[in-house]
Amino acid sequence: MQNRTFLQRFIGASEFGPLVLLIAELAVFTFVNPAFLSALNISNILTFTVELGLIALAMTLLMTAGEFDLSVGSVFGFSAVIMWTLFNAGLMPMGAAFVVALAIALFIGWVNGLFVTRLNIPSFLVTLGMLLVVRGTALYITSGFPQRTWSAEGSVFADILVGEFSIGGFRVYMSVLWFVLFVIITHYILNQTKAGNWIQASGGNAPAARNRGVNVNRTKVLLFMFSAAMAAFAGIISSIRTSAANPNSGTGYELEVIAMVVIGGTVLTGGRGTIIGTVLGIFILRAMRNGIVLIGVPGLAYNIFIGAIILGMMALHSWLERRHNAGT
Amino acid sequence: MAEELVRMENINKFYGSVHALRDVSLKVDRHEVVGLLGDNGAGKSTLIKVLSGAVPVTSGDIYVKGRRVEMHSTTDAIANGIETIYQDSALVPQLSIARNLFLGREILTKWGTLDDVAMEAEARKVMGRLNPNFRRFKEPVKALSGGQRQSVAIARAILFNARILIMDEPTAALGPQETAQVGELIKELKKDGIGIFLISHDIHDVFDLADRVSVMKNGRVVGHARTEDVTKDEVLGMIILGKCPPAAQPGPGAMLS
Repeated sequence: MQNRTFLQRFIGASEFGPLVLLIAELAVFTFVNPAFLSALNISNILTFTVELGLIALAMTLLMTAGEFDLSVGSVFGFSAVIMWTLFNAGLMPMGAAFVVALAIALFIGWVNGLFVTRLNIPSFLVTLGMLLVVRGTALYITSGFPQRTWSAEGSVFADILVGEFSIGGFRVYMSVLWFVLFVIITHYILNQTKAGNWIQASGGNAPAARNRGVNVNRTKVLLFMFSAAMAAFAGIISSIRTSAANPNSGTGYELEVIAMVVIGGTVLTGGRGTIIGTVLGIFILRAMRNGIVLIGVPGLAYNIFIGAIILGMMALHSWLERRHNAGT
Repeated sequence: MAEELVRMENINKFYGSVHALRDVSLKVDRHEVVGLLGDNGAGKSTLIKVLSGAVPVTSGDIYVKGRRVEMHSTTDAIANGIETIYQDSALVPQLSIARNLFLGREILTKWGTLDDVAMEAEARKVMGRLNPNFRRFKEPVKALSGGQRQSVAIARAILFNARILIMDEPTAALGPQETAQVGELIKELKKDGIGIFLISHDIHDVFDLADRVSVMKNGRVVGHARTEDVTKDEVLGMIILGKCPPAAQPGPGAMLS
């Protein structure tokens, strides 16, 4: 069989489906309400997008390695609570509290990873348990009340994380730049580094990877830690931006993040992942959430669209996969 | 005299109270294909797991080129030049050929990134030796046919100078044309001086390719014979009845005819 043409490879790529869907979505929303593509609205979409997006990038690597993490939503809420509790109590400066919160998140990821790799318990069960432990801890230490965060105002540290600036009337949060930076880093890791090769091999055929000397367990543990750290980072950014560190924040984020990753073309069973696809998946879901409100669909109907998109994309990926394997 | 590549002496393996291998002794020389035959449960799989480092031996010795070696892991076996090629190829389906070939031993650029150009160039060289018509280097392995995947698995083995190949049912999942292709590959490898253990249920395949056969039953070696000295029926008798024909050399504790 001959090598495929560029066009065949482009159409067969896992990013092709989400790209078409995103373009169609943008076209429909803009057609119904031209304000959808206004600078203000795009700026709003981007702002809300990056917080979930940061978690989705880490989740892409983890899912490529054949695992997933349901505890990210709870870590998102918990880490902000920890940071602000420590800071508000005057125990340490904001930067140090940030480092402690990240370290605790890394520990949570490490425990997740150890349970999955050493005890061979499915990541679904381990991270479901961790979700409850972490959320429960956040609620317990705060008695269920949000932590005050307004003392972040004017802080250089807060400005670095979520400070805003304008480019030609277009408001941009620093968090967007963080997101862009992590898109580049994770894409680079997955596609250009030995670590990326090992991540794909760990998810694609773990026994074969082990036979070639790949440390599958360590790879997965590190990815669980990265996933938790990114959830913590996103949670802290969100708390500063919204001026609220709520122990319940991030509830349900885990499923939305997994949906973003899967819609983008990363397979749930591992082995194949795409950061570009995930970025498309992030925009598809966030544009959908924004767009259906702008065109007058009740916001409560959001989940119907998301569910339909997931089912549609799975069918499309399956069809493209079969075509690809059949060599057509 | 033929140069001995690997020799296993008095290998015993217990799984709990189950005595899976009983005083098994076996060897392969350079330029030699040894067919390992036996019914299900005969001990073939356990024996190749021992030799490939996948399971530790309970007692007995393994020598590679006359030097006693310890096998604690598959990477130990690979370091000793022993590669195993499984029925399912043990490749990562989503990765390209080059990335599969170099998995665990990636070539990096001076910046620490994967050197895909260098890895693909090496892949083209080694695949060119095995399968000159092969062109699908950009495809993930899952897009290849069963025979092509076996070529990749064999290429990976010889790329890192494996001198001893264990081929576990390499053609079981293949059609006739691909089986013939793998057969040609085995002949080429043998010419290059590689020693091969060929495990197969298909006695015809083994007779076509092997210089010698070793037959196992109930964890023991029934006997060893040169394929030119015995008939297929006699070998079937060894497999089914455990009876050693006159032209075969019996293994320890084998039933003698």
